Amino acid sequence: MEAATIKQFDVELTSRSPGYNLPQRAGIKLWLPMLVMALMAFPAAVILGIVRADQISTGGSGETIETLRQVQVGAMMIGFASVFAAVSFAIARILGQFRKGGGDLQEASGRRVVTLKMPVTAKVFLATMMMAMMTLLGAAVLHFVFAADVSSTTASLELSAERFTVLEGVQRVGIAMYLVAITFGLATIAQVLRFQSSRVRELATEEPRR
Amino acid sequence: MSTFALQSTLRPLAERTDQEKASRYRVVGIVIALFGLMVAAASLIGNVVVADEAANADTLAWTFGLGTAGFAAVMLGIATTLIGILIRLWLRVDAVKAALPGLKPDVEPGDSVRVGDIDTAYGLATVTKTVPEKLAIHRMAERMWLPMIAMGPMLVVAGLVFAIVQSGETNPGTFSDLGAIVQGTQFLGQGLILAGIAFLLGTILSSLRSGGAEVQAALGVSIKTLKMPPSAKAFVGLMAAGVMVAMAQFVGYLVATGVDDPTSWFAWLAPVREFGLGLILSGIVLALYTIGTVVGFQFERLGQIIREGR
Repeated sequence: MEAATIKQFDVELTSRSPGYNLPQRAGIKLWLPMLVMALMAFPAAVILGIVRADQISTGGSGETIETLRQVQVGAMMIGFASVFAAVSFAIARILGQFRKGGGDLQEASGRRVVTLKMPVTAKVFLATMMMAMMTLLGAAVLHFVFAADVSSTTASLELSAERFTVLEGVQRVGIAMYLVAITFGLATIAQVLRFQSSRVRELATEEPRR
Repeated sequence: MSTFALQSTLRPLAERTDQEKASRYRVVGIVIALFGLMVAAASLIGNVVVADEAANADTLAWTFGLGTAGFAAVMLGIATTLIGILIRLWLRVDAVKAALPGLKPDVEPGDSVRVGDIDTAYGLATVTKTVPEKLAIHRMAERMWLPMIAMGPMLVVAGLVFAIVQSGETNPGTFSDLGAIVQGTQFLGQGLILAGIAFLLGTILSSLRSGGAEVQAALGVSIKTLKMPPSAKAFVGLMAAGVMVAMAQFVGYLVATGVDDPTSWFAWLAPVREFGLGLILSGIVLALYTIGTVVGFQFERLGQIIREGR
């Protein structure tokens, strides 16, 4: 494999199509399990919310109501972490189709195969996505831990409310980070499209290798 | 096609764009998204500062509104980046149309093109001699993405204004009613922005279909178009269900303002409003999956044209 810079793009030169890279293979395998997990977690959180509403309206204990609050939001955060992961993996799958398809096309035309190196936006996409996932899953785990810690004393209920307020803010940042990661993933698609448009025009003027 | 629908596919804008230049939509999208992240971080700081105070409801009122506005900003960044992708897709169509005649072998055009359905590695496809009609759902997506992206942020900002008013309110009843209006309005706004993003993805699918057919028609080869995959049908269903839930939660919060003690209403409306967003996001996952499938199909078809010339 040879590295080069062509028309402001950092590229790899190969004789064969490079196929998918590791994050793209992960995207192809993981988008569906993540979506399924999200579609299970969302209704579970709604059911927990309905049970909690019933406890409030029928005068249930403060301990039960507070425990349900923590567990319900924990389940919802698992849903959001999963659905955003599914979105990210689906974006990685699209990038994989462009990488493999672009390589296959150049190989079929008998020209050298020029592939865009992983752009900075793609690296930021992966790093931000992982940080966001850890933030949301960490918040979800803490909701379950705090739920287990709730007792009927006033001090315990106040402590749980305090913890809930902090975690609520952490979740917001986690969700915003996930959305930023998705923006970087989409920005990478835009960059790949620009590179491929430039490359395909160049391809027609290039002499075939065979 | 109406002028608005033509404009909303961004084809005319692509024709005025220099394909060698970097997309400004991409840069603007990232900047807007990072701004949204900072707004959400400000909301976290607000929550952390008042977490141990007993009377913190006034602060939590505005941090809620601010945090949700932050999400909306990042979503607008995503929408802006998708607009950039849409323009790039049309530039790619023009580039492939210009390059392909020089890449495909010269063969006699087949006199007996077999039209009808064919099975491919990417699902069922249709072979036609002319460019196929646009699908109704694609026409709808092209018309709807802009109104949704315009209305959503207006509702989120209106909710933020209500949240600021709520944080200064001293009457407990009015405070609770304003809280209900903030949550209902902002989550309806978020639902509309996400629906706008979903319609933009639908417009991208439409452009992939039209652009792919246009390239094949320009080459004079038979036109192979992927049929609407099951993932695309599920995408439409999930998105529609999500928008309906977003509207239902808004109505629910309005009703809650007329209830003496709305605490139990808030307890079930909070997960329901998030469930609505979750459904639209699940639809978006399937839209992205479908885009990946269509891109794969198109590369396979282009490879076939380069190898066989038809």
